[in-house]
Amino acid sequence: MKKILTLSFLAIALCLGSCSRFHNAPTDAKDARYVVISPIYNEIIWALGAQDQVVGIDLSTTYPPEAKKVQTVGYHRALSAEGILSLHPTAVLHDNNIGPPQVVQQLQQLNIPMKSFSAKNDSFDGTKALIREMGAYFHKEARAEELCNTLDNQRAASLEKVKQYTDHPRVAVIHFGRASNVYLVVGKGSGGDGGGVSKMIELAGGEMAVTSDRMQRMESPEIIAQANPQVILLTDFGYDRLGSLDQIKTLPGVATSEAAKNNHIYRIEENVLNYFGPRSGENIAKVAEVIHQK
Amino acid sequence: MRLMLTATNLTFRVGNKALVSDVSLSFAPGKLHLIIGPNGAGKSTLIKILARLLRPQVGMVSYDDVDVSQASETELAKRRAVLSQAVEVAFPLSAREVVMMGRYPHFGGRPGPADEKIVDDVMAQFDVTEFTDRNYQTLSGGERQRVNFARVLAQLWRDSTSDLNSSGRYLFLDEPLTFLDIRHQIEFMNTIKEMAAQPDVVTVGVVHDLNLAARFADHIVILNQARLVASGTPPDVLTEERIQEIFGVKPTFVGSEESGMHIIFS
Amino acid sequence: MTKQHGNRRLLLVVLAFVTLLVLAASIRYGAIDFPLSEISRAFASILPGHSEPTLDQRIFLELRLPRAILCLLVGASLGVGGTLMQALFRNPIVEPGLVGTSSGAAFGSALFFVLGSVLHISTSVWSLPFAACFGGVVSTYLVFLLARSKEQGRASIVMLLLTGLAVNALFMSAIGFLSYIARDPQARSITFWSLGTLSGANWKAVTIVTTSTIIGTLIALYYSKQLNALMIGEEEATYLGVNVNRLKWIILTVNVVIVAVATAFTGVISFVGLVVPHILRMVGGADNRFLIVGSALTGATLLTLADLMARLVVRPAELPIGILTSAVGVPIFILLLRRRQYVF
Repeated sequence: MKKILTLSFLAIALCLGSCSRFHNAPTDAKDARYVVISPIYNEIIWALGAQDQVVGIDLSTTYPPEAKKVQTVGYHRALSAEGILSLHPTAVLHDNNIGPPQVVQQLQQLNIPMKSFSAKNDSFDGTKALIREMGAYFHKEARAEELCNTLDNQRAASLEKVKQYTDHPRVAVIHFGRASNVYLVVGKGSGGDGGGVSKMIELAGGEMAVTSDRMQRMESPEIIAQANPQVILLTDFGYDRLGSLDQIKTLPGVATSEAAKNNHIYRIEENVLNYFGPRSGENIAKVAEVIHQK
Repeated sequence: MRLMLTATNLTFRVGNKALVSDVSLSFAPGKLHLIIGPNGAGKSTLIKILARLLRPQVGMVSYDDVDVSQASETELAKRRAVLSQAVEVAFPLSAREVVMMGRYPHFGGRPGPADEKIVDDVMAQFDVTEFTDRNYQTLSGGERQRVNFARVLAQLWRDSTSDLNSSGRYLFLDEPLTFLDIRHQIEFMNTIKEMAAQPDVVTVGVVHDLNLAARFADHIVILNQARLVASGTPPDVLTEERIQEIFGVKPTFVGSEESGMHIIFS
Repeated sequence: MTKQHGNRRLLLVVLAFVTLLVLAASIRYGAIDFPLSEISRAFASILPGHSEPTLDQRIFLELRLPRAILCLLVGASLGVGGTLMQALFRNPIVEPGLVGTSSGAAFGSALFFVLGSVLHISTSVWSLPFAACFGGVVSTYLVFLLARSKEQGRASIVMLLLTGLAVNALFMSAIGFLSYIARDPQARSITFWSLGTLSGANWKAVTIVTTSTIIGTLIALYYSKQLNALMIGEEEATYLGVNVNRLKWIILTVNVVIVAVATAFTGVISFVGLVVPHILRMVGGADNRFLIVGSALTGATLLTLADLMARLVVRPAELPIGILTSAVGVPIFILLLRRRQYVF
């Protein structure tokens, strides 16, 4: 049963969610042609203005909206070597989260240059390092510096704004894991997809209600019940999937929480909360606004 | 070589219960031997042991004076056949395909022209040629049994040129009449009797109907509660006392010039 | 019977022809379309004296061609596996997936992924298939042993299907557990693995699967007459000279090996083994000799068509092939259930 759900979900996700994206003509390129399989890399490339060289992106890249016009090569863990190669890339950029392993092997075997940047966007400093590294790679160093400065300025501004809030709500973040087709609670240690979440919440003046090291499946209502969050955030896909507050309250442990009782359950974009990026500076304020709502 | 089927001290147990207990018998060729007894007497089990489907814990079965437990399956299949009560087929098979299976022990990969001819002949004999291409699953109980009988006969087929003339043939019948109507029951028994009369065939069957046994058998064996109770000709064995004792019903014997002795029960 | 014989022969010839056609289409079309000229240049490039192959030619020789061939072989394995399973259990509603083989193979691969990262086991490309094979063998034998206690007549089919159901559930939840304790990347690999894909095809895989498929099919053909006899019942088959126990073990082993080896390289692909023998039986009858050859060809054709669609529908991305086989297989399965009265 679960398998049927997974199958049908993936089929629908792949088709409905992005049907139009599969038939776009590949972007014209000059010298370099990049297939970029990472939402954060793509966001930075567009921010740097280097997007002309991108001929293929992955399904999970949703920001900026213009990026969706580029041909997609599928879900980052269900790639096809031929599919990528049909775009004739000069290099494949990825953040070490691609699969299946056989396809990675095939690309290596065919001597396709594969590159990951060494900096990681796991913090503000890491993000700036990544922006600079990518800036150097794409010869957009000046623009990279601009982005870093903007990031710093916006962060400072946001932190000022956050000071106006006197409360420190306990926040639980629920994310929908598309590959495993389950709802996940992001923990303080924030492994996996929840990379930036706890830091963002804390910067925004909140407190992570769930203190586990990594993301957990919502199998036991105790996870939420014990944490008793005052605010619950759901990332966009998971929120839309359930559709309404009543539906969301059926998730294990949610109905009895303080957040549910006060209807402090909100939707938030994954690319605002889950990982650090060029817009994280202003995102702090956005997140703060959401969680401090009354 | 003495052509005979011999069973010596057969005992067959399942768990703690003996289904057949210390049974010794011999069956001569050219005669029809029928085993009767109340439900649970062990008749079906005995037939299966004689046909070597089941192995007794104690005792021995010999065909032609040779212990049959050592014989290979394929070799045995060429001279021993069993007509069961009913045969279910899981997939659509034509009646002819079912009959052809009787020839399987006799050819390796594909049936030869001789096999095809034999199948033609036995199907004609049992009047099932019209079902050649019919799906066996769609046939009635009686039609199926005729097809199965044809198959069994095809399996034991022997003509003068066959090189198996030296060994005996063994035909076992495990309540083959159960799903037949009265007309077919009598037709079958007549055919069985003809088959049994051949000098190189030992025929042993299990039937429920005492009247059929009385009318057709040359030799009757009575089993009750896993034990051998009586063995002999119908008049010797089917006495009023014995029938009452074993089957728990009171018999009345009625003679008929045409068809011999009949028994009426009350 | 020569008329039906002749029909069957003709049918097999037509099937073989269709298989070749579909293979040609599979080689030609995909994320990249290879026109005939490009294909012949690709082949020419491996001859001595010719220049090194271009990237596109390498894609053709190292990715497309082995994938097309592997697809044929896997389809054949699954088709034959289905026929053998149905002959063995004398029931048209069984297939290797139902008696635990596929889920066991998937579990073997899942275990390999999780343990491999934890224990840093050498990840040679053969470790995965062997792990899957091991899993498939364990699960199938488990089902068979557990279902063996009540070996009388029809009741054993129910025992088998129910035991298969239970073992499938056991292994699928074991996979769930593994994906739970695994770090995220591993977990995702497992999920995608169990949806089936031909994207990992390479020549080594082709070699292994060719061997298992051909040997397995030849052995099955050798026993096809005995499998026929089994159709009228185990007792009757014994009377016809078949050593039923030995036949069961041999055919079960052949079935497990060919399906597990295929699953090792492509993940769990369902319903091929269920649907293919049904279609063949409807058009050509139940003789196993015909069915084994026919289901190899039909399975090869159907899976190749499915893979072609998987590669074309959302190109340049790919759909997992399990989605397509299920999308077609499930309605057919339900149709079959409703049309016939099955004797359990």
